[in-house]
Amino acid sequence: MRKFWKNWKLLILCLLATMVLGATMAYGQSAPKPAAPEAAKTAPAPGAVQPAVPAAKMSKLQAAIAKTPEGTGPGMIHPGAPKGFMGIPGAPHHFFLFYILWGVWVGWIFSSVGAFGGIMAGVGHISVFGLSDYASSFKKTNPFLNKMLTDSIRTSNQYLVGLSALISSFTYYRMGRLVLPLGLCLAVGGVLAGYLVPLLTVGKMDVSLYVGFFGIIVFAVAFVLFYETTPGGQAKKKAAKAAAKAFEEAHIKKSTQVSAEHAKGVQVTHWGLSRIAFTFYGQEFSFNPIWPLLGGFVINGISALIGVGGGFLYVPFLTSVAGLPMFIVAGTSALAVLVGMIVNIFNMMVVRQVPVDFILISTELIGIAIGSVLGPVTSKKIPEVWLKRIFVVLAIYVGVGYLTKGFMGKSILPGM
Amino acid sequence: MILRSLSLEMPWIFLVLDPHLIWGYRLTGHATLNFILGTAVLVAFSLLLGEISSFLASWAVRKYVDRIQGEASHYVKLSMNALAAGDREAYEAANHLANEAFGKTFFLQVAQSGAFFWPAVLALAWMQYRFFEIEFPLPFLGVSLGFIGVFILIYILAYLGWKRVKGRLPLGRRVRETLNSGQGTLLEAGQEKPTPLNP
Repeated sequence: MRKFWKNWKLLILCLLATMVLGATMAYGQSAPKPAAPEAAKTAPAPGAVQPAVPAAKMSKLQAAIAKTPEGTGPGMIHPGAPKGFMGIPGAPHHFFLFYILWGVWVGWIFSSVGAFGGIMAGVGHISVFGLSDYASSFKKTNPFLNKMLTDSIRTSNQYLVGLSALISSFTYYRMGRLVLPLGLCLAVGGVLAGYLVPLLTVGKMDVSLYVGFFGIIVFAVAFVLFYETTPGGQAKKKAAKAAAKAFEEAHIKKSTQVSAEHAKGVQVTHWGLSRIAFTFYGQEFSFNPIWPLLGGFVINGISALIGVGGGFLYVPFLTSVAGLPMFIVAGTSALAVLVGMIVNIFNMMVVRQVPVDFILISTELIGIAIGSVLGPVTSKKIPEVWLKRIFVVLAIYVGVGYLTKGFMGKSILPGM
Repeated sequence: MILRSLSLEMPWIFLVLDPHLIWGYRLTGHATLNFILGTAVLVAFSLLLGEISSFLASWAVRKYVDRIQGEASHYVKLSMNALAAGDREAYEAANHLANEAFGKTFFLQVAQSGAFFWPAVLALAWMQYRFFEIEFPLPFLGVSLGFIGVFILIYILAYLGWKRVKGRLPLGRRVRETLNSGQGTLLEAGQEKPTPLNP
């Protein structure tokens, strides 16, 4: 418990995320209910775009397009316009190479710095490809289409980042040892969030609110990145390296005998509602199950709400809450990520059938794969601390832009 | 299975690939069986393409991966030795460094996974034009599964089966040896005597 309170970075992150989720749930409960099915059978409004299929069976997207006024102005759809995002006439559309190039940028960041890559993937969908402004244009003419496009942006983020995290998590799950009660608590929290957040927000979240929440998360990442570049943050890493080196030099000539006790691996010694204890390598570890439950809920909730982040937070969260060895945490957190991702993906994409543009996502994935190869090449030439400093500036710019755009209606910074 | 055709304008790349991709969906005279078989063939191609591009991406960065995985493995071993020796300070220090090294490998793998998944997502993009309104009503549940749900289910099954078979194939073993020729993986941590990280 003391370790958790000492790790203020995670504490602030959890508080931010809890505020975000709490605001989302409150917004979800007060949002107007979706139109009753009978409304679809009424004649389309004058000037509305006529769908290409019989009105009795239309997808959600087609039904939303059918209710949009026809025209070339903002918030209107002209049927003769070239098809863009998700096949909507007049929607933003870019040459596929542009999507690949942005994917290269995202992949390069993933393989150079790490977490910020997911943020950049979201920035691409929101700002660079113009999807947020396009969705905003329907705020007054067709709020339902506005919210559907918002859900599509969130789900696209999730496909891009979450799907890829599945594979790496599965790999670490096979590699690591598992603390079953810890994994269960994380998974239960993750499943709850993966079910509740889409239930409360799909079809109800305005794009402005989504952009505002995204800005909050960007600020949180900027804060963590900033700390790691400060003398204090770097001193901590230097001290850890010195302590590890001192231990290694003191024990390098002695081989540590692996006793029968050490070879047992993880042994759960106590199950309880307020304390779960286990031994590993002759040491006892314990934790209050409420913390991994809450952590799983918050972390997977962020992932379900925003579409990025989540998976990378489990390991530092677990090493901070219970001081667990990384060797155990890798496998245990991977289980939680796997379960959370399955619930999120299934709920958003299969059950709620949020439409996505698969061509956009597949071309971005190609770019990300290319970027992942470039990162190791440039890491030899650019020190990591300077990369982080550049991304801190970028993160603050994006965070300020999205916060003002989301909660004040207009970004005070250009390009957002 | 309920199928309603919907004409949507295909991009040029799908117009070129369509006659080849639809082949698997016309193998028998039964619509549902055709759809499942055709999707299975599509999944197989996606897996194969994904494996090839994933191997190429991993091979290109193998030296960097060896280095950072070696670093993670080194600090994991050190932290467990510190645990065994009862040195809490050294354990926390090594664990913190292992955590940082793990973060680098995790995100690199996230990025590299894009190389594995892009064929599957492109396949879904094509299916969206061809099987947009397909529905499989699930008995007793009152819901139906669309083309995405069917694709994902078949993909998961095919992936699990492929993982079991891949390691037994001579080429699969050779690929694994080529990619895992580094200093050690997290799997080996704790099973060997600690060795210092090579300068």
